[in-house]
Formats: sequence, structure tokens, C-alpha cells
Amino acid sequence: MLNRLSTFLTRTAGNKDTAERFGMADVLAYGYLLLGVLIVLVPVLWTFFSSIKPERAVDSFDTRLLPIAQVQTEIEGIGTKPEWIHEAEDGGERKVFKAGPTRKETDVAPIDDPGDVFKVPRTQLRPSEEIRVATENYLDPLLKRHGQENFTFGIYLFNSVFVTVMATLITLIINAMAAFALSKYRFRGRLTFTILIVATLLIPSSIILVSLFFVVWSFGIFGSLWGVIIPAAATPTGVFLLRQYMLTIPDELLEAARMDAASEWRIFWRIVMPLSLPALSVLAILSVIWRWNDFLWPLIVLISDPEKHTIQLGLTQYAGEFDTDFHYILAMTVVSLIPITLVFVWLQRFITTGIATTGLK
Amino acid sequence: MSLAAILMTVLGVLWIGGGSVWLLTRRRYKLVQVPSFLMDLVGFPVEYAQSIWGRGGVPYALLLPNMLIFGLFTFVPMILNFYVSFTGGTSILLFNRPWVGLQQYADIFSCETIFEPRTCSNAGFSFWKGMFNTLWFVVIQVPVLCVVALVTALVVNKNIRGRGFWRAMFFYPVMLSPVVIANIWNWVLHRKGVLNEMIGGTRDQLSAMAGMTGFDIVVTVLLAVVLMVVSERALRSSDTPSLAWTAIFGALLALLFAWANPLSLIGLGGSIWLGGALALGLVLIVSGESRHARIAIIVAGILSAALLISIQFDAVFDFGRYRPINWLVQPNTGWPFFWLVFVFTWSHMGFYMLILLAGLQAIPSDLYEAARMDATRPARAFWRITLPLIMPTLTVVLVLALIRSFQIFDEVYLLTGGGPGRETFMIVQNIYEVAFTNQSKDYGEGAAGSVLMAVVIAIFTFFQLWITRRQSEL
Repeated sequence: MLNRLSTFLTRTAGNKDTAERFGMADVLAYGYLLLGVLIVLVPVLWTFFSSIKPERAVDSFDTRLLPIAQVQTEIEGIGTKPEWIHEAEDGGERKVFKAGPTRKETDVAPIDDPGDVFKVPRTQLRPSEEIRVATENYLDPLLKRHGQENFTFGIYLFNSVFVTVMATLITLIINAMAAFALSKYRFRGRLTFTILIVATLLIPSSIILVSLFFVVWSFGIFGSLWGVIIPAAATPTGVFLLRQYMLTIPDELLEAARMDAASEWRIFWRIVMPLSLPALSVLAILSVIWRWNDFLWPLIVLISDPEKHTIQLGLTQYAGEFDTDFHYILAMTVVSLIPITLVFVWLQRFITTGIATTGLK
Repeated sequence: MSLAAILMTVLGVLWIGGGSVWLLTRRRYKLVQVPSFLMDLVGFPVEYAQSIWGRGGVPYALLLPNMLIFGLFTFVPMILNFYVSFTGGTSILLFNRPWVGLQQYADIFSCETIFEPRTCSNAGFSFWKGMFNTLWFVVIQVPVLCVVALVTALVVNKNIRGRGFWRAMFFYPVMLSPVVIANIWNWVLHRKGVLNEMIGGTRDQLSAMAGMTGFDIVVTVLLAVVLMVVSERALRSSDTPSLAWTAIFGALLALLFAWANPLSLIGLGGSIWLGGALALGLVLIVSGESRHARIAIIVAGILSAALLISIQFDAVFDFGRYRPINWLVQPNTGWPFFWLVFVFTWSHMGFYMLILLAGLQAIPSDLYEAARMDATRPARAFWRITLPLIMPTLTVVLVLALIRSFQIFDEVYLLTGGGPGRETFMIVQNIYEVAFTNQSKDYGEGAAGSVLMAVVIAIFTFFQLWITRRQSEL
């Protein structure tokens, strides 16, 4: 019985034949995964939990998990005061507020009787606390309350989405066209074009930074969103990924369509594009990740005009401006990681298997 | 109106207007075929090319937009880079820039010796400081990234529960933007942040525990029992020792070294590194199927017994008060650099893990079945089957990781800003600052830096490809 129980507890995934006993190697593997959770997920979750803490808790680096805040009470004739609990020597507890500056012996008065001021040792006071989710961290910058007018999230989101969607659409169409030409036609210069595209794969974007700036400037798209969209629209990775996939589409299909007098463009659009949908969606995901997270080139092109900032730039500026307002910065960090996280949770199986099967960057 | 705007307008009018007329005169569309018409309109240039040159012209028309963008925004800048690097001044207009020949390069190279950036001119100092920091970074980052990615891929590839979830979890940081990553880690690594809090708390608890009477005796006995059990498990099977148990034994040994601190007897620090190195060596010996593996474990066991006894005589349990470290700001500690490597690995590892995972899954499983038939141990199977077959994928990962970490900018710029001092100042940041943020925007200098950086990257890549080729042939 005990033997069967231990077999049950230590079995691994798989059926009767493939499952193996849970060995030391599995313990190590799960230990590694646990470490992974600790290193990968905990910082992100910690940021989230910190972002819903009230300002005071964030500023004092309160490391408790829950958003605990000191109770603020409205007292007639005095105003809003933080609430403290006075623990008398006989064990009795009373809710009080500080009526004077904090010293060794502090003047306090009970909440229900503000006139009755008396002295107590500081050590007998502890803050009266409650759990409160600080929604103001999020709402102040988003609704532009309390002087938080510099984080125009709507504009940033629009710019980011515009850049991402436009760049991805253009990338998909022109890369697919190039891949179609390279995979399904025999023509003079095919090898030359292929080699040219391989060559661009070897030119990292950061070494042409300065002269790309000159080119973009002379086209007059410097400082506009198109200056970010166009230069990176043609990706060698995309062309290769799609070309490899399109090579697997049988030529007979195209021939059959040509028999029916379809034009080449219609063959491309009606037959090749739908058939290469798996590869196209992988490229789409890659392109979305690249564009959404792009930082250096937008920093050069768009930094001078706050109306053109993407989420990444806006967040950088915001964090730089209010170096001490951690509660707002954390909240806005969480806000800007939400869209991509939702996309990821929604498509994760697809993304991970897609990239794993089609490979390179 | 700018040049581009005029061009775009003309092109748009020709495309949409001309295309509509052209299509409508040649084909008949019903009302429900509006989407089909729009699709034809998008491809109008291709259709037009086909009608003029026949099918032979189509591939060129298909390639045109892609090659146009490649040409204008990759090849032209590549050539232009050389030109700009030979010009001076601060003008944005190309024809307005005076030709200065090799002056920019001379500025960068005006050092007594380039290996000592201190002796350079200002421009040279920034450049070489950035270059050497980047080289250091690459040399450390690339192996770390590859090893971590490979280990993670191996673990995720195992027959474990929730594989999809784990895979997704390790990939998740790749989706995050550098700004978000920087903010998250800034928050964690702050001087009063949660990491320091955790370390301080653990240390206080350990000190409190160690202060209890009899603590050292109890722990010593406990450790002795655990070590005995673990080494017995490692040596249990008749032929070769078990790798997993050896790994645990190694970890315990390293811990014991850190605790017993044998090097302090001869007045040296760094026992913890020695212990780690010994543990690693032990694991390597066992995984390498050496004939002396059993002897090595037995020797390590005797060593650990000696260490345990030495603790009895020399037990010092004072961890002292923990003084929080400003992880990203403290100069001359190496911590900013360490965290940079850490965060970079954290945020990019998932991608390389997926590529390696695909490589692992492409290995035919009958190889492993055959190995199991022959009662091959897992460690041997790893060295003889997995590693050789994953080598091509690993080479790709190496090259990608190299090019990627050479261009590191976002993470550094946002986490440390190149500081403290210039400790984490990287080459791309140098180019960016010289060309775009300094008071006088010195594009020529930036371009010269880019050219030199391209040369170094090219040398590195070819060198690496050459080495890995040699290895895979052997």
C-alpha cells in the first residue's frame, strides 16, 4: 500500500509505459523552475503590488505585500489627521491623533474628544492601519488630476499603437511580396537580391544610427511617426522566414491558377498569402514585439515633440521628471506593461510554439 | 512642404487615381467585389508591370518596395557613414559639412595607448572607455546567456508538468519593453528596495539563530548526516556515480566551504569561490564519465568531514549588521555591471531558450531510446548525443547573442545611465551622446565611432564563426 502510494506521488507525466519514477533529476528540475518563478515572476508581481500602495507606504519602502495605509480621519475644526493607536500601560487602547510635533513625549488627543490633549511616550503610539488599494496612483496621471498633467497616456497609447500596427502591416505586405518573388520565380538577379538581403541581416541597426539620421532628415520624415515606421519596415528576418515557408507551397497550385487566367498579383493575394498564414502570423508577432518595445531610434527621432512620444518614451520622460514620485512611476509602468501582457496571455501558446518552430531573429 | 510629402502626394494620386482608372477600364467589378477591387488597387503596380513586361517583370515589381527601403535606409546609410565620418562641423545639411579627412579618427586615436583610455583626448576617452566596457560586457554576457538559455531549455524540455506554462513564463520578459524592465529592476534594486530588505532580513534571522546555544553543534551534526546520505546516494549505483546527487553534494560542499572558511586559516578570503570551483569541478568530473569520479567524490567526502571538524574549533557566527548596498550606484564594487548582465540575461534569455528548445525537439527521440537500451547514463547521453546535435543551433544562438549584446544600449541607458562614473558606459551610448545629445552635435565623430564599431563587430563575428566551425568539425 505504502509502496503504491509513493509510486502514485512520485510519478511523472505520461502514460503507464512512458512515465518514469520521480528521480533526483526531477527534483533539481523543479527546483530550477521554482528559482525561475522567483526571478522572473516575482519582480513583476512585486512591482504590481507596490503600485497599488498609497504614496506614504511607497515612499517609506514598506515591504509588506498588502497595500496598508494609515487611517486618515477628518476631525472637526482641525482637519484631516493620520490616526494613531495609543496603547496605555494598563493595556487599554485608544484612537488618538497627534496634536503637536513628535517628541519623546508627544501631545496627543483622542479622536472622539479633540479638546482633551495629553502627553504620552512616543513608544506607546503605533499607527492605526487599514488595507486600502491606492487607485489614485493610477487615476491621477490618467485623469490628469492633482497636477499630474505630464503623462498623456491617451496620446502615447495612440502613437504606440499607430506605429506598431502600421509598421507591422507594411512589413507583412512588402516582406511577403519579396519572399514570393524570391521563392516562386526564376529571374535574372535572384541570387544577387538574396545576397543583398543576407547582407542587411549582418548590418546591425546601431552602427548606421548617425547616417540613418541624415537620410531620414533629408526625406523630411524626421520628427514624425513615419520616421520610425518606414526605416525598419523591411526586415531581412521576415523575408527569410516567409521565403522558407513559401518554398513549401506546391507550384502546381500556382500553375492551376494561371490556367484560370488569374493575374500574378491575384495568385499572390488569393493563394500564397492565405497558405502562408502561419509564417505570416509569426512575423506579425515578432514585428509587434519589435515595434512596441523599440527605444533607441524613437528616442532619436521623436524625443523633441511630446505629442509624438510613444509609450516607452513617455514613460522614460515621466520617470526622469519625477525621480521621487515612485508611486506614480510604478503605476504607469504597470499600465504600460498591461497591453503587451494581455496580448501575450491571449496568444502565448501560439507565440512560443511559433517562434520555436520558425526560429531566428 | 517637404520633399517626402510632395513625393508621397504625387505617388498617391498616381497610384489611386491612375490605378482605379486602369483597373476599371480593364475589368468589370460588381458591387460586392469592392474588397476585391481594393486588393487589386494595392497591387496595381504589380498588375501594371505584368501587363507591360509580362510575367518576367513581376518579380522585380514584387521586390521593389522591399529593396527600396533596404537600399535607402540600410545600404545608403552604410555608405554615407563613411562620408559623414570624414566631415566635420555641426550642420545637418550634407553639402554644408566641411571635409576634414581623417581628423575624426585621429581624435579618437589620439592616445598615448588606447588600452589606457585615461591617456586619450576627450573623444578618445569616451570611445575607448565605451569600447572596452562593451567588450568586457560581451565576453561575460554571451557565455552566461548561452549557458542559462541552454540549461533552461533542457529543463523545460524534460517530461515535466505544465511545460507550456513554464515555457511561457521564461519567455515573458522578452515581451516587456526596456523601459518597463528598467523601472521594475530599479524598484527592486533600490537602496531601500525589496532585495536589500530580503538580504538584511535573512541575515538578521541567521544571526539570531546562530546566537542560540548549541546551534553550531546541531547544525554540524545535521550537515554531517545530510552529507553522508547524499554522498551515499551519489555512490550507490555500481558503475558510475549519479550526477543529480553529485550536484546536490557539490552545492552542500560549497555551502560548507563558505561556512567553515578554511582559507582564513592562512589569512586569505574567498573561500566561497574556492568551494564553488571545487563543487563545479566535481560535477564536471562526474558528468564527464571520468574513471576517477568515484575517487573524486570520496576525496570530497573526506574533505567535507575535515571541514566539519574544523568548524567545531573555529565557529564564528557573526554576520554583523547588514548595510544596504546601492546596487546600481555604488562605484568600484562591480555591482552595477553585475546587475546589467543579470537584467540583460533576464530579459533576453527566453528568446534564445525557445530557439534552443526547437533544436532540442528536433533531435530524434530514437537516439535517446537506443541510449537507454544500452543503459547509457543521462550525463553521457547529454555529452554524446544532445550537445553535438544541438551544436549548430547553439552556434546560431552564439552569433545572435554576440551581435545583440554588442549593441546593448536601452538597458544600460535606463538603469545606470552609464554610471557610476563611466563604469557601465557602452559604445552605443557613446555614439548616441556624441551625435545627438551633446551641446555641439558632432555627427562626424559619431559616424567615425560607428565605423570603428562595425569593424570590431565584424572581426568578432568572423572570429567566432571560425572557432565554432573548428569545434564542430572535431
